[in-house]
Amino acid sequence: MVNEKRPVDQHLGELLSGFVDGELTQQERQRVTLHCDECDECRENLANLRALRERIGKAQLSEVGEDKWRETMNDSRVQTPRTIGWLLFIAGLLVVAGIVLVQLFFNDEIPLGAKLLMVAIYGGLATLLYSVLRQRLIERKTDKYKDVEI
Amino acid sequence: MKNQDMQQQLIQLGNGAHALATQMLGNSDDAADAVHDSFAKVLRKPDAYEANNGPLKPWFLRVVRNHCIDLIRRRRPGESNVQHLSEPGPGPDSVLEIAQRDQQLQCALAKLSDGQRQIIVLRDYMDLSYAEIALSLEIAPGTVMSRLHRARLALKEEMIRHG
Repeated sequence: MVNEKRPVDQHLGELLSGFVDGELTQQERQRVTLHCDECDECRENLANLRALRERIGKAQLSEVGEDKWRETMNDSRVQTPRTIGWLLFIAGLLVVAGIVLVQLFFNDEIPLGAKLLMVAIYGGLATLLYSVLRQRLIERKTDKYKDVEI
Repeated sequence: MKNQDMQQQLIQLGNGAHALATQMLGNSDDAADAVHDSFAKVLRKPDAYEANNGPLKPWFLRVVRNHCIDLIRRRRPGESNVQHLSEPGPGPDSVLEIAQRDQQLQCALAKLSDGQRQIIVLRDYMDLSYAEIALSLEIAPGTVMSRLHRARLALKEEMIRHG
């Protein structure tokens, strides 16, 4: 005796989701329709999936209005000049700091203690910068999302 | 695409992008910042979007998703991705009822995996097609239906559990 499953015994599974979403071919849609005519379980599952989809569609998963996004968009547009402004400011600051440092070292009137103090400040900044860069490099190597495009 | 048209479309995508980011980051404020940063990124380099490669919607959602991944990556160890749910505020009974129902849905969503939450928001909340979901999540189009179905079953189970 051949143990063949009748269509009604083979539940449709993911095809039900495809049916609810309108993503099936005509043949698949027909298969789902015919099956659900006979199978109470799949018919119920189909109804549940429809209800779930409707419920999520009507839910308010974001409470922010369109006006807020319009404002945000305007903020975003001013961000580019702001970034350029910061870059120019930092670059200028670095140049000034470099000039001060050079003049400090070649000025014999400034006592050695003050020179050493400046070395400590600049040395500390350089060490901090190095440690941050080093940490970033280590994170980059071990980062499982490193191939993600941003 | 003209910059003006792009901005208009992005404004319309704000809420959906925010919902996706909220599901990934666990709270609404961080999500709003993520959407804001994504707007800034896109507007800084509008040419990065090529209309020939598909619609703006899945492309922008991919930018938001990738930015959220970047933010999660930068979080300190131990800082959890917990869903901070707001209490439903005072209001008419119907409003309160809807808020409670949405909160129950949020609680159930919070129990799913990150990937399951994303795929449900993209399909059922944002109404993306399977092809667009594949583009947004950078997965094979053939796997969308099965992933989505598993996510829906998991959500249904969690909703039953949350009564």
